[in-house]
Amino acid sequence: MTLLDRLLTLLRRLRRSATAPPSPGPEELHRQFIARSRSFRDLLTANANTLAAMAELETALRDGRTLSMTFIRARCTLVTVNVFKIIHHLNRMADGRYSELERAFSRLHRQIETILDGRRKPATGALILDLRQVGRAQADLTGEKMANLGEAGSIEGIRVPPGFVLTTAATGLFFQRNQLYPRINHIIQQMDIADLEDLHGKSGAIQELIRAAPMPPELETLLLDHFDRLAEARPGCRVAVRSSALGEDLGQASFAGLYHTELDVGRDTLLDACKAVLASKYTPRAISYRLAKGFRHEEIEMCIGVLTMVEATVSGICYTRSIGGRNDTLDLFCAPGTAKGIVDGTRATGHLLLERAPPHRIVRRLEAEEAIAPWLIDAEATTLAETGMRLEHHFGAPQDIEWSIDRDGRLYVLQSRPITAAALHAPVAAHPPPADDRLVLHGGVTGCGGAGCGAVCVVHGPEDMLRFPRRAVLVVRHPLPEWAPLLKRAAALVAETGSEAGHLATLSREFGLPALLALDRATELLADGDMVTVDATNRAVYRGRVEEALRRPVERTNPMDGSPLQRTLIEVLQLISPLNLTDPASPDFQAGRCRTLHDITRFCHEKSVIEMFEFGRRFRFAKGTAKRLRDTLPIEWWVVDLGGAFVPHYDLSRTDIDIADIACRPLQAIWAGMHGVPWEGPPVAGLRTMVAFLFHSALRDGLDPARTSALREKNYFLLSQKYCNLSARLGYHYAMIEAMLGDRPGDRYITFRFKGGAAGESQRVRRIELLAAVLDHFGYRIDRLGDALTARVERESEQVLLDRLKVLGYLVIHTRQLDLVMAEAGAERSYRDTFIQEIEDMLNHE
Amino acid sequence: MSDQTLQLEAVLKIHLLLVDDESEFKEVMQRHLSRMGIRLSVSECCLDALELLEAQPIDVVIMDMNMPGMDGIQCLRKVKERWPRTEVIILTGHASVKSGIEGMESGAFDYCLKPIDIQELIEKIELAAQKALINQEDDIP
Repeated sequence: MTLLDRLLTLLRRLRRSATAPPSPGPEELHRQFIARSRSFRDLLTANANTLAAMAELETALRDGRTLSMTFIRARCTLVTVNVFKIIHHLNRMADGRYSELERAFSRLHRQIETILDGRRKPATGALILDLRQVGRAQADLTGEKMANLGEAGSIEGIRVPPGFVLTTAATGLFFQRNQLYPRINHIIQQMDIADLEDLHGKSGAIQELIRAAPMPPELETLLLDHFDRLAEARPGCRVAVRSSALGEDLGQASFAGLYHTELDVGRDTLLDACKAVLASKYTPRAISYRLAKGFRHEEIEMCIGVLTMVEATVSGICYTRSIGGRNDTLDLFCAPGTAKGIVDGTRATGHLLLERAPPHRIVRRLEAEEAIAPWLIDAEATTLAETGMRLEHHFGAPQDIEWSIDRDGRLYVLQSRPITAAALHAPVAAHPPPADDRLVLHGGVTGCGGAGCGAVCVVHGPEDMLRFPRRAVLVVRHPLPEWAPLLKRAAALVAETGSEAGHLATLSREFGLPALLALDRATELLADGDMVTVDATNRAVYRGRVEEALRRPVERTNPMDGSPLQRTLIEVLQLISPLNLTDPASPDFQAGRCRTLHDITRFCHEKSVIEMFEFGRRFRFAKGTAKRLRDTLPIEWWVVDLGGAFVPHYDLSRTDIDIADIACRPLQAIWAGMHGVPWEGPPVAGLRTMVAFLFHSALRDGLDPARTSALREKNYFLLSQKYCNLSARLGYHYAMIEAMLGDRPGDRYITFRFKGGAAGESQRVRRIELLAAVLDHFGYRIDRLGDALTARVERESEQVLLDRLKVLGYLVIHTRQLDLVMAEAGAERSYRDTFIQEIEDMLNHE
Repeated sequence: MSDQTLQLEAVLKIHLLLVDDESEFKEVMQRHLSRMGIRLSVSECCLDALELLEAQPIDVVIMDMNMPGMDGIQCLRKVKERWPRTEVIILTGHASVKSGIEGMESGAFDYCLKPIDIQELIEKIELAAQKALINQEDDIP
């Protein structure tokens, strides 16, 4: 604050004191009290709404549900609007004394807005680029796939097919010229994503829209010119038209096989093939994958790679680090002809394991049964391994490489991209399957480990997808990428063909869905409706529910990990949810120290409670002054009536009050909990603990055991008929209970905060663990930070909330000084069991 | 007297105006509110709403942000400028932090997101009605 500011404040104060009446009359005081109570009530409602919306955002981040921008934006808006209201109401209660908060708030909501509105700039640049001009630096224009391929082609000794790329500038022009995005958005906004039939219908309509749109003439000319140039070098050449999307190869999301690739395309069908690739951005599987992984459709900009066809004799996939879990080997999957059969899982596949280190010795070779001669000779395998390691070295991470060898034995790299994180966590079989009569099928390869149980649903075609029930076991002949929309709702996947290298296997690993592939006769032996357990790790399918298999822990992956929407959510939550102001007694508990919206919320709540108390003190308002609540426990309780908290016949001139004269239902419940089970006094602590306690007390101001005031502090209840706020410093810890039992669901909640203690850090944390365990048992939602705990429950019926308040009453009394006997690890467990038992007895008894 | 009875009494004393161009929503609201005995007027756009306000006292306005003609924030500002004691609840199908804050800063009573549970909206109306009546008593905005 500058000197000028200070002078101005002083002047304002002087003017206020000169103009304001020295002491308002009783009627005016009453009016002010009612107005403050109203603001206080509105502040509490906004506070509850803020915390509820924050909790929804945090839960969404943790539980891996499908995120949408609409959801994130709506919840962020609710949080911000409610924090605005909180500040507004506090300032009304405090005659504008907290206007400093508005600065912090304004900064935060602007930052949140910027994050939510963050958009990629529209692409500008060449419409078409020759693959030889393309490298990683052009990724924003060509998509990662083509950028990587161009880059690979620039490495000495690595051959890529000649070709060119239609850039984002070109595809953007196509979409813009035909006004496609507004029309697509219109269809998508009306789509019910949970309804697969609707998804298929709308997807078809969007794809039709794209296929029917004309290619801008200047683009058409350029495309055909570039094709002609390829044909000059190789007369009669055919091309492969493939997708290359921006944001596709982000490492965490594979987008494996989601988009269309058209092979053997000539000049006459080139334009249609390009449009077919663009349309494949809206296939049902691509739409549902984006939703599941948190991508906005406008965010995925599609480019197109046009590559000369390689007349392949053998093709395949190379993972430069084995997805089987070994660190020293690489995988080669191969099949005759093109690689399509491998990635869509329809082809029998050979598998070679080679050492990553030169000379790349072959460790293992598994040929498919129908192979008469090896599909890949040793020398070719070694060359492939060398090429793979060179690419890994160049790109700096293990690569997933698609390759072909032509008739002349020339090796072409068709794609090279980082292996997704999920692919590297492939499972290792650990337990041999129990040989019992429940075993239906055994064998195959593990696509993704784990076990799942559910009713079988055999899917042959798209029409079967529509009747696929939630949590069913998906059984298919081939693991085609078309089945991708079902992965999120399935309990496990079983396919008769396929390998670990297939697209659906990659996707199942991303979703953490147990998948067992190449399991012969699965569609024949497993019938619709059969209840089965699929133990993908141990390659077995059992009849019924097999608990032994299901009990083995499986690491569930969060499919949203690394997605742009998740990043957006994490970024905004950084400004919303961390709580830095935990201790109201700390000098840091100031408006100027609020760094998040949660800080502002916490600060305002604390100050609003104080404002209500202070009002009585400042204006000596007779009705607002505290009454001592008579108790048998040696603790001082004081109550302040905000309206309707005392029974009508209570004599207001008295200085004390009995619990029978209190009309506040939440307080009565807390009181019942406090007195339901007799407290046996503070626990007996060992000598060492007592010494530590005295030492600790000496270090902390206000905790000196010689000063009786610290232990005999007044504890205040702020009450109305339906509201109760207790701020208590019970011995050495701070506890706050706030309960509102309003008529609207949004006005029914309990918040409990607990912090501190006299013992050392580890013991205090142990007491917090004890509290958390008991509160969790009784249905509270817990947030912990060091030795501070916040527990909340909301929107329950009045009866449920009253019972939960009794739990708090019990805990506030029975955990006093308990931290002193928490020295032994495991002490909290025995207390927890006793507490839960006693509380349950108390609740049942009533 | 409990809060609930106070609010229900409040809502029966007020005149409510619904400004929205979405006919289905308007019909549902009209049915619910008239069943509760609430006096209700409706209009399609901001200009119509301003004319209605000019012609008779209105206590609470529910206004959609996205309507033809004048945008919701401008309309809200006009209403609060001319009739500061009238409480305005904003409804929107396109939530944004920016419009939420602009709305609150321009004096909106609340900012709600569509789709909204009809019961929840009625509760908001009750609170706004209570506030509108207090505004009249206190003669303050």
